[in-house]
This record gives sequence, C-alpha cells and structure tokens, in this order.
Amino acid sequence: MAVIRDPMPAFELFQPTSVEDAQALLRRYGAGAWVLAGGLDSFDWLKDRIKRPEAVVDLSGIPELRGVRARGDGLEIGAMTTLTEVVRHGVVRERYALLLDAAEAAASPQIRNQGTLGGNVSQDTRCWYYRAGWPCYRAGGNICYADTPESINREHAILGADRCVAVNPSDTAPALIALDAQMVIRAANGGERVVAAEDYFVGPGKDITRMTVLQPGDLLTAIRLPGAWAGARFYFEKVRDRQVWDFALVSVASAMVVGAGGAIERMRLAVNGVAARPLRLQAVEDLVRGRPANEATAAVAANLAIAGAQPLRFNAYKVPLMRNLVKRAIRGVEATTWAS
Amino acid sequence: MAERLIGRNYTPPDLVAKVTGRARYAEDFRADGMLFTKLLLSPMPHARVRRIDASAALAMPGVKAVLTADDLPDLGGGERALTNEPVYAGEPILAVAAVDELTAAEAIERIEVDLEPLPFVTDPLDSLRPGGPNARLEGNAWGAPLPGGQGPGAPAPLVTLKWTPQDFAEADMGRLPMGKPLEEWAYGDLDGGFAGAALVLDETFVVQSTCHHPMETRSAMAYWQNGKLFIHASTQSVAQTRGNIARWVGMSPSDVMLICEYTGGGFGSKGGGAVSSVIPAFLSRKANAPVMMRITREEESYIGRARTNMTGRARIGFAKDGRITALDLYIVQDCGAYGPLGDHRSAGLAASLIYQPPAMRWRAVNVITNTPPRSQQRSPGPMQANGIIEPVITKAARQLGVDQVQIRRMNSPEGKAAFGPAAGPGGQRAHVTSAFIKQALDRGAAQFDWEARKARAGQRQGSKIRGVGVAVGPHGAGSIGFDSIMTIRPDGRLYVQSGVGNLGTHSVIDLARVAADVLDMPWDKVEVIWGDTGKHLPWTCMSVGSQTTHAMTRANHAGAMDTRRKLQEIAARDLGGSPDDYDIGGERVYRRGAPGRGLSYAQAARRAIELGGKYDGHAVPEDINPMTKESAASLVGLGLMGIAKDNYPRDGVTYSFVVGFAEVEVDIETGKTTLIDYLGVGDVGTVINPRSLLAQIKGGSCLGIAHALFQKAVVDPRYGVTLGDRFHYSKPLSILDVPASMKADALDIADPETPVGARGVGEPPVGAGYGAVLNAIADAVGEDVFRRAPVTADIVLTSLENGRRMHDPLRAHV
Amino acid sequence: MGILTWGRNPWDQPILTHISWDLFWASLFAGVAFFVAHAGYMVFSTHRKRHASETDAMEAARADLPPRIVRHSGVARAFHWVMAAAMFTLLLTAFLPIAGVKFAWVTWHWTAGLVLTGSIVFHIVHATVWLDFWSIWVGPADLPELRAEVLRELGHEVPGPRPGKYPLGNRLYHLVIVLAALGVVASGLVMMVRVRTPFFTRNPYLFSDATWGGTYVLHGLAGVALVGLVIAHVYFAVRPEKWWITKSMIVGWITRRQYLEHHDPDRWAVNAGPEPRA
Ligand SMILES: Cc1cc2nc3c(=O)[nH]c(=O)nc-3n(C[C@H](O)[C@H](O)[C@H](O)COP(=O)(O)OP(=O)(O)OC[C@H]3O[C@@H](n4cnc5c(N)ncnc54)[C@H](O)[C@@H]3O)c2cc1C
Ligand code: HEM
Repeated sequence: MAVIRDPMPAFELFQPTSVEDAQALLRRYGAGAWVLAGGLDSFDWLKDRIKRPEAVVDLSGIPELRGVRARGDGLEIGAMTTLTEVVRHGVVRERYALLLDAAEAAASPQIRNQGTLGGNVSQDTRCWYYRAGWPCYRAGGNICYADTPESINREHAILGADRCVAVNPSDTAPALIALDAQMVIRAANGGERVVAAEDYFVGPGKDITRMTVLQPGDLLTAIRLPGAWAGARFYFEKVRDRQVWDFALVSVASAMVVGAGGAIERMRLAVNGVAARPLRLQAVEDLVRGRPANEATAAVAANLAIAGAQPLRFNAYKVPLMRNLVKRAIRGVEATTWAS
Repeated sequence: MAERLIGRNYTPPDLVAKVTGRARYAEDFRADGMLFTKLLLSPMPHARVRRIDASAALAMPGVKAVLTADDLPDLGGGERALTNEPVYAGEPILAVAAVDELTAAEAIERIEVDLEPLPFVTDPLDSLRPGGPNARLEGNAWGAPLPGGQGPGAPAPLVTLKWTPQDFAEADMGRLPMGKPLEEWAYGDLDGGFAGAALVLDETFVVQSTCHHPMETRSAMAYWQNGKLFIHASTQSVAQTRGNIARWVGMSPSDVMLICEYTGGGFGSKGGGAVSSVIPAFLSRKANAPVMMRITREEESYIGRARTNMTGRARIGFAKDGRITALDLYIVQDCGAYGPLGDHRSAGLAASLIYQPPAMRWRAVNVITNTPPRSQQRSPGPMQANGIIEPVITKAARQLGVDQVQIRRMNSPEGKAAFGPAAGPGGQRAHVTSAFIKQALDRGAAQFDWEARKARAGQRQGSKIRGVGVAVGPHGAGSIGFDSIMTIRPDGRLYVQSGVGNLGTHSVIDLARVAADVLDMPWDKVEVIWGDTGKHLPWTCMSVGSQTTHAMTRANHAGAMDTRRKLQEIAARDLGGSPDDYDIGGERVYRRGAPGRGLSYAQAARRAIELGGKYDGHAVPEDINPMTKESAASLVGLGLMGIAKDNYPRDGVTYSFVVGFAEVEVDIETGKTTLIDYLGVGDVGTVINPRSLLAQIKGGSCLGIAHALFQKAVVDPRYGVTLGDRFHYSKPLSILDVPASMKADALDIADPETPVGARGVGEPPVGAGYGAVLNAIADAVGEDVFRRAPVTADIVLTSLENGRRMHDPLRAHV
Repeated sequence: MGILTWGRNPWDQPILTHISWDLFWASLFAGVAFFVAHAGYMVFSTHRKRHASETDAMEAARADLPPRIVRHSGVARAFHWVMAAAMFTLLLTAFLPIAGVKFAWVTWHWTAGLVLTGSIVFHIVHATVWLDFWSIWVGPADLPELRAEVLRELGHEVPGPRPGKYPLGNRLYHLVIVLAALGVVASGLVMMVRVRTPFFTRNPYLFSDATWGGTYVLHGLAGVALVGLVIAHVYFAVRPEKWWITKSMIVGWITRRQYLEHHDPDRWAVNAGPEPRA
C-alpha cells in the first residue's frame, strides 16, 4: 500500500441549510463525518488523503451560522463568519479591535476571505511531523517525532507539553480568550452548551488527538463577546517569519482596564504558539491587578509568565519571546521616530 | 526614422494573455482521450526496489498503464525520471496512467513496492566523518571534473572521501573542518598576503538550501502522432530542451515537437527542461493515448530542484586601510542526490572577482547527500559566496574603522579586471569584459543617502535598532556563438524567430527590439515567433546564467546585420551601384543621397524570394547550428532571410554586477528583522528594456532578501525526509516583506565587448540582496550574532539573550 | 475484535503501535464474567466445608500454638498496600482515558509505575532475605494439592494435602501476576524514555521501531491482563469465605483455628511463640 498525497479521495458531500439538518447528518455518519467550514485546514487533510471521511458536511449554506449580531451588551458572531467579515465589521472595529487585529494577522487576505472564525479556532495543529501523516501520538500512534534529540522543532511548544509538543496555530484564539468570549456549542443531540473560550481548547494531556472540546457531532455555532471588555486597552502582537501568510511563532493578546490612578484594574491575557492550547495567564493577570502598567510591573509579570517553560532543541527563543511579548502587552511598545 | 527601441519601455506582446489568464501553460492543454498520471514516490531517502506488484492496480477499471524505471533508457548513470534505486525521499519510482487522477491515485495505493532501505545521509559533514554513510552506493562526493569538462555541470567521477577525526577537532566550536579537498586552485602569495595583513579573520558560514518553487510546477502533457512526440512542458529554454527530451526518450530531436509558449518561472530549475517531463511521453506510448502529468506543489518540493547549500569557511587578510591581502576559501557543497553541480566553482571565481584578493586559494568538496536534487538556482554559487564572505568583510570593516561602502569599493574590480587562477593556456588569468562597480557603488551610496542612514545605524529607539548594509552581487552574464533567423516578408513585416524560453524575463521578445533597431523597423511591424519547436526556431542559449540578453542580442544583431546586408545587396543588384552605396530607413533600402531610389522592405522581400539562394534561405551559412539549418529549411522562400551565427569577437568573460543597499530595523525584543529600504544598482551594460530590467533587479534582490530573512529547506535527519514540503513551509518572500518603495537603477554603461552593449541581469541581484540584508542585520545587532542564514527571529533573539552566538553552527537543512 | 494496532512509519513500513484497546474491554469483561460465574457457582454448588468437629480436634491437638498466628509482617503488609495503591493508580490512569474519561494521566501513571517498581524491588529483596522465598512459588510438588483442591472444589471429600502458607490458588495467581507485573514494569521503565521525565533526556529514537512496537505491545498485553487479574483478586478478597485472608493482610495475623483449618502445618510450620501485636 503505497502512500500518495493528492488528489482528494471521493466522499459524500452534504450541504445542509440548517443546523438541525447538519446534525442529523453528523449523527448518521458518526465518526465517518467531517465538518467543513472554510476548508483551509480541512482541505489540507482531505487532499493529503490522510483523513478519509465518508461524508463531508459543508456548513457554508447555513444562514444562521453566519454574520455578526448584537447580543445584550456584546456581540454574537456566527461560527461561519469569515475572518474578513470579522475584520470589516464596524462594531468589531470600534469595540473589539483586539479581535480585529488578531483576525487580520491570520494567514493571507485570500485565506481570510475564505476561512471562518469558527474554523480558525477549531483548526488542527500545524506540527509538520503530524501533518506529514506520521503515526504520532496525535494521530493515534505512540511517539512524538517532534521531541527527539534529532527533531527540527523551532515552531513547537515550550509549555504544557504532554508527550505531544505541537502548538495551537490560531491567531484569533488568544484574542477571544482575552475578550472572555463564550463559545456556543450545539451537541449532536441538539442540546446547547456554552463554554468559555479558554476552556474550549484542550491540551494533549487531556486529549492528545483533539485540539478542542468538540466531540463528534458537536457544532460550534457562535462565539459571543461580552460587553465587559469592550473598548478596553488592547494589545495584540504576533511574531512570525514573514509579514503575511505565516503562522505565529508566538502571539499575545490582552485586554486591560486601567483605573484613574493609572493602576491596572483588571486584565485578561493569553498567549499562543507556546503550547498545544492557547494559554490564558491567570497568574499574570492576578499579579498585575492594582499595579501600574509600567516596565517594573511588566518585568515581574513576564518572568512569572514563563515559569516552567521547557524549551526543545530549536525553540529556546520562544522563552524570551513570550516573556517580551507579555511585557509589551503590559507596558506597550515605544514608538520610533525615524522618518522612513 | 523610427525611434530607437533599445532603452525604451514597451508592452510585450504576451502580456495581455498572461494577465487575463488566456495564456496556456503546460497543464492547461487537453487532447482527445487524454489520460492522467500520478506518481509513486519513494518514502525512503535511499533504497533499492526489490519488487513491485502492480497487479491489483492494473486490475482496476480505468487504469491503463504502469510505467517503471525498467521502461526507461539508461542515461549513462545520470538521473532518470523514474528509478529502482531512489536516492532521496520523494524520488519517483513509478507512474500510473488512468482515466482520471482519482483513479490513478487509488491505483497507486494498491501497488506494493518492496523497498530495501540503504544507508543514507542528509548532512554533508556527516558523510565526510570517518565511517560516515555514503549517499550513493558508488561514493559520497563528486571529484574534480573529468579532463575537458567545462562549465558548472561538467561531468565528474563519483568518489568516496572521508576525513580524519583530527579534521573534525574544531567542528564543535563551529569551525568548518577542512580535510582533504577534492578540488583546489590558488594564485598569488597566500602566506605573504596573510603575513603582511594587519587583520586576519577566519569565519564559517552556513548558506541554506532553498527549493526553487516557481509558480508553475513541472507539469507536462504528451502524445504521439505518426512517430513524432508532441510534448507540452515547462522550460526555461525551448530551443535547448528539445534535444534533452530526445536524449531522455532516446529518439531523434527532429521528431520532438516541444510546445512551451509560457513558462511560469524556473529560476534555474527548468534550465533545459525537467527530466520528469518524459514520464507522460513514455506512458503515452505505452497506453496509446495522450497523458497529462500535473505535478503537485508537494511533488515539486521533491523533484522541483533546490539550491546547493554550502558551508564555507573564509580566512581573509586585510591591510590597515581595508584592502584585502589574501583570501583562503574552503567550501563544502551539498549537491543533493544527483549532480554534479559546479556552484562551488562559480562561488570561488566570483569571490576572486568581486573582492580582487591579490592572493587566493580555493578548496572545495562537492558532497552528495540523500536530499532532493539540486540544480542551478538564480545566482548559483556567487550568491553563496556573498553569504560566506560578506560577514567577514563587514566584521573587518568594523574592526578597522573603514566605511562599509569604501571597503567594498577599494576591493572591487575595475575595467578588464582579472580573476580566478592562472589557468589559461599561457598561464594567464581570466578577465572580465568590463566592470564599473565603483561607479555603481558611488551612484548607489548617493541615491541611498548612505551617509545619513549610516549615521543612524546602530542607534536604538525603544526595542528597535537600525542597520545598513551593502554588497556587490556578481554573476556571469553572457555567452556567445548562438544563431538567429529572421525574415522580412512580402507583407513588409519583420518576423523574428526566438528560441528563448518565455519565463517572465521578456528577453524572449527583447532580442527582436535589437533587430528592429538595426533595421529601423517600427515595432508594430515586428512579429516575434516563439514557444514551439514546430515553429522553426534557431539554436539559442539556455535562459540560465543571465546569458540570454547578452547572447541573443548579439545573435540577433548579427542576423539583423545579415538582413541589412542582403537588403543592400538586393537594392544594388536591382538599382545599380555597390551595396555600400545603400542605406536603410523608413522600411526602405535606398541609395545614399537619393532617397527616392530604393526598394520598400516588402519589395525587397519579394525580390529575395525571386532571387532565392542565400536571400530567401535556400543557402545558409556553414557555421550555423544544425537546428538552425533545419529551421531555416522550413522557412525557405517566405521572404528575405537574415540568418547568422554570433561571430562577434569578445575579449574577456562577461560578468554583470548589482550593488545592493539595505536598511533594516531589528526588534531586539522579538529578534525580528524588517527590511526598511532597499536599492539595487545594476552595472549590467546597455539597458535594453528598462522596466523589465529594473523589475529583474528588484525581483532578483527579493530572492536574496528572502534567503537572508526566512527562506529555507528543512530535512528531518532521522528519516531523511523533507519537512518543508508545503509551499508556505519553504517561506518564499511575500510582497509585505519588502518595502513598498523598493528602488532600482542601472548605470547604463555599454559593455565594450558586445555590439549592443548589453549584459545579462537575472542573477547578480540575488547575491546583492542576500549580502546587503545580512550585512545590515549584522550592522544593527553585531556581526557575531549569526553565522548562518536565514537569519530568523529565533537566531537573533537567542544570541542577544545569551550574549553570544547560540545557533547550531554547522548543521544543514534546519 | 483486533488484537494489535498497526501503523506505518514515515518510511511506509508497517509498525506495531499498541495492542488493540478492544483487549482492554475483553479483559475487563473476562474479569467481571469470571466473578459473576464464580459467585453464581458458589451460591448454587454444594461447596464442601470441613466439618467443624475435625477442626476442633486439630485445635485441641495443637494447643501449644498461640491463638493468633502471624501471617504477614508489618513490612510485608505495607508493601502489599503500597503496591495495591500503585496498581490501582496505574490501572485507572491507563484505562480511564481509554474508556473515555480524559485527564492528564501520563505523569501520574509513570510516578505510580515507579512506586510499583520500587515496591516490587523491595518485595523481591525482602522475600529473598527474610521470608521463605519458595513458599509462594508453584512447582511439581504441588500436583497432589492441585488434584485435592480441584476435587474439593467439586464437592468431593478427599484426604489429600492441604495448603502450606499460601493456598495453591494464591500461588498460581501470584505467578501470573508476577509475570504480568514484571512485563509492565520492564516495558514501562523503558517507555519512560519515550515521554518527558526529569530523569533523562527524552529519546523516542532509543530503539528501533520494531523494538518499540514490541515494548508497547508487551506493556499493553501485560496491562490488560492485570485488569482481569486484579478484578479476580479483589473479588476473592471480598468473598466471605476468603475474608479471613484479606483481614490478615490488614491486621497481620490469623487465628490458630484458621491456621489449622486451612493450612498444612507441615508445609507451613509455625512455632509456638509470643503473642503477636494486634
Ligand atoms: C497557508 C495557510 C496559512 C495560514 N495561516 C494562518 C495564520 O497565520 N493564523 C491563523 O490563525 N490561521 C492561519 N491559517 C488557518 C486559516 O486561517 C483558517 O482559519 C483555518 O484553516 C480554519 O478555518 P476554515 O474556516 O477554513 O475551517 P476548516 O478548515 O473547514 O475547518 C477547520 C477545522 O474545524 C472544524 N470546524 C470548522 N468549523 C466548525 C464548526 N462550526 N463546528 C465544528 N467544527 C468546525 C472542521 O471540521 C475542521 O476540523 C492558515 C491556513 C493556511 C492554509
Ligand atoms: C498495572 C500496571 C500498568 C498498566 C495497566 C499500564 C498500562 C498502560 C497503558 C494501557 C498505556 C498506554 C500504552 C499505549 O499507548 O500503547 C501505558 C503507557 C505508559 N506506561 Fe503503563 N501500565 C502499567 C504499569 C506501568 C509501569 C510500572 C510503568 C513505569 C515504570 C509504566 C509506564 C508507562 C509509560 C511511561 C507510558 C506512556 C508511554 C507513552 O505514552 O508513550 N506503566 N501504560
């Protein structure tokens, strides 16, 4: 049985127009079904002939999954809203610019036109050993090819590794955690549950073959942004090799409310690219509360942030990188005055 | 008189088709009953095929044929389209033709290939270690070229070379081991040069490999008609690919009809076509139907060629004023699984040329590894030399307190500068046709505002530091001796046959501008015929090595002069006097002083057909290539034929130069470099097509910039498999990685050794971009922060964090 | 039901990755089925009991013995319970995730594995030096006892030999569990190289794919075997007629009557001695 990548094997394609129909299909096909959103992650797997679903359920024809609407004092974004639509939305721009910055940093304009917010947070890791179809833990095997004395693992995890050292690639994920977003999940039986963004993602310790809490049959239908963090002082930064069309090496997203006296009243802060799940740094959030948003606070907080980091052969840089990005999220970046 | 075309912008005739999508590339063609093929690739970096069982595949409905290496002729041990001894992971072992790709892929999954793993190696130094593995059963390195061997791909013997443990004594300290070399040359008094130096630096640098990844992969479609092979392929050279395909298939070139009107880039990876393109040809014969082979991006990253990576060590002596006194260069080249390639030799020569050391030694080993095959990649060799040597020059300038532009200026070649070893027949050294680098540096420094930028370099604002860098990128830029055919036909138009590949550089068309100028022909009366060997094309250089503009402007100048002479002769014959009494202009040939007495070009064309003989192609010069003769024979009697070989003299070897200036901003909290500004100034002879030329300088620089910043190829050492097998993993440059206002300029000083004055430009900007950006980063963060490329954030940040260089010093493909 | 799970390595060669987790369910099922069957049998069968009068007679004959007879020293009991805790931790950490209860189990697992390893090493040393090492082993000499026990189980009255310190069933069980435990311990210790621990650099490439495959399969087979064995063990431990044994593992002694009733004083000789501490 020789291996060949491309073209996409045949499958039944379903294009339901309601969530109920979609779920009926997911129930019918069980583990043989694949949920298709924008396809930027899905098609990789399908075209590589690594994942071979019997049926593909394309969500793009379900109107209720699409669009941004007001909800209470916040927003509800349909899971199938494209990243471009998120970026262009007036209220997102005005009140949740953190999500805008994060969504705009993802991939490339073409990919953002097609990729959805729901897909972006649900996407699989980009570990190149795993993506090559090698039989690693995440693929159901008994080895991590990325953490051996010979592995090339510049992009891999420094925190929270448990056998698998892959990282979560999503740019919007840390922003949603920082905004305290809520993920609305419809289970196969039709029941709805709402999960905080930080709990949406799972690490390999908990489930080495999944990136999120989604179980077969589950659909992410919407993402809710509460009003609590709207218009806060935001910071998003993604460090990558190229300015576009590149995944984050490390990214940071934070929302901060600063009191009249200049002290940090409250803050939410998350980093991605360092672990298999985007990490909310609660200890840092607690530490900075009540302190001024300055270099001194940033330095202490940043050192706390990287506590316990365990670099691999080629990714030691992620430790200072994460530290510095956390610092910047707290104290900002000094602008330069060079003319050109 | 028509306005001179040379030096003016124009809209090339293929442009609209390209931007509207009407242009048809190899995979856009269809033929009746066409089958599709998919490839079975070796999962192992080195193995022997013990057994193939394709019976289950062949039993599937829709599966028409299976092709294995046993169906292919032997190519004297050279690389074939399919193999029974894969020497790199991803090498094609067999191909299946089926009614569609899905069926072909499913068929492949049912084929059992029993592979016996063989020893393999992915890092050249590992292969040189005592007891290290050999990449090929026959050896681990290419020896010196066989006697009479010339040029970058000269045939060489396969040898086994192992160094001693003592050779590796300093490897852990990051110094390239320098065991017994397989090739070397030297000139001048090396010891004296070092002895007299005020400063001697000795540094090792790792230049990465990068996959070519042109936008169009090497797809091909083929069918047979009455014994002739019709093949749609993607190549950089239409004229010279035909012969290669004939050789790979084992047939006569005249029976090969190669169609390639548009090539989606090549960058050296499709110089003479791609050996894989004959797979559909063989399958088509076997299945008796046209066969299309669409190469995927992943496949392209295996079979699509890559740059030779080099680990180089340069020991350089400097006088107090910055002048180089001696240069000792050692290169370990990784040639991939096939070859041989001569980038390491080009690198040595380029170093000798652009740094003009009075004494120099060059030593090299050309190692074979089980990594995807290499071929020349835009500036093969000189770019790598820039990478190895520029950091040393930068460091020396800093230590000696000499300006970076000045140190390069004082060491740069001028005029007919000599370079390389004393290898001429009389023991003389080679020299270039011309070099005006000092002018280019001066012009660039002024335009770039070097002094002002230099003043702020090294300054820090917030977490950002600026740095400036300059480098001279050289490359051989012109061959000679090719042919041209053109006809003025009774419709009064000039038809120029162009055998150049249409790979995006416009040289395929530019050459006709030269002919039009010589004949004073308005551009709208000129027709360029290209892209199909069925269209009777002349013997043409390959569009590699930046040679086309030089070679083919010369050939077409010669052809146009022949046309002109024939016009004069016909006029003299009909209207009296001697040919020299006649002049041309306004699409007429007329008697000097009596413009009324003459013939229109259309009349002259009719007369040529009547006269026959040499005038309409019945008689052709003796010295032209057989291919040109064959093409001329098919164009006989269509009009007045100008046909000639480029016999213009040339004193020297043609080289072009681009000087790159870069300013970068490095964020020391993230390690990330941003290119702020860039200027490339070309010393490339007469400018033929300004817009295209400047685009070449910018585009070529972009490749070098990407090499400096992030582009790379990654191989897992344990399994010997390419990891960067996705387009985005190999990290080609994106438009947002270069400044919006990247600038380019050219001196436009004619080269004295060619009638048109033009030299090539494609390659020299690559080393300029690479070197300039590397130097600028070194300027910003310190010249000891990195000794390998690409200089990504991780390298800079960890080095700054630890106060010393931290990256893996010698390992390749990380 | 599969037995082994295969994968293909990056060179497209077949490799063993684990046993099939179906085997876990099978072992679980077998364990439960055994106790259900045995319990049912015990309820309905005419299980032969030694007549109380017989035992009375024996007790009278051996009044020299103390009323409480030491069966397990404190150290031995500590070992047993530590090992049991480790075993339960190992089983739960290994199989709950497979059964669908997800949590970060690996560190707990190998930590418990080390505890188990430590206690086993201790036990071997202790048993060799201080205990009657051979009392627990099974050999050809046990054949008559085997026959007698089987017949007794079937309700026959047979004279035959009675057990020494450890009843034959115990000893057979011990043998199987020794094999399984050594299997998980040996393979588990090696598998620690595959994961990140504080003790050495993780090196999943230490052995060939085939060796690793064998190791994982051994670990899996021995592991699932332990599922059934442990279920059986626990089942017997809580059975009313065996409760005196379980109790002895807690308190350390049995009564003279129990001693005489269930053991062959020739094979497990107890000297008259001081009263053991309770
Ligand atoms: C070259 C490249 C570069 C990229 N760079 C970046 C980057 O820099 N940053 C970044 O954040 N992303 C990046 N991406 C990812 C991209 O932006 C998409 O967001 C992402 O691939 C998934 O979005 P999608 O809508 O295409 O989802 P799909 O690919 O269709 O789905 C992704 C996964 O989520 C599941 N899924 C999707 N929607 C739902 C739902 N509503 N309910 C349940 N399950 C669901 C699917 O089953 C699938 O497993 C890149 C992708 C590519 C191809
Ligand atoms: C009752 C005893 C044990 C049982 C039932 C058991 C069971 C298991 C199972 C089912 C797995 C998953 C294996 C796989 O993925 O193929 C596992 C993994 C593992 N076990 Fe055990 N085990 C036991 C004892 C031990 C011991 C004693 C050690 C070490 C000293 C140990 C160390 C490990 C390690 C390190 C792994 C993880 C390997 C990996 O995921 O790659 N185990 N065990």
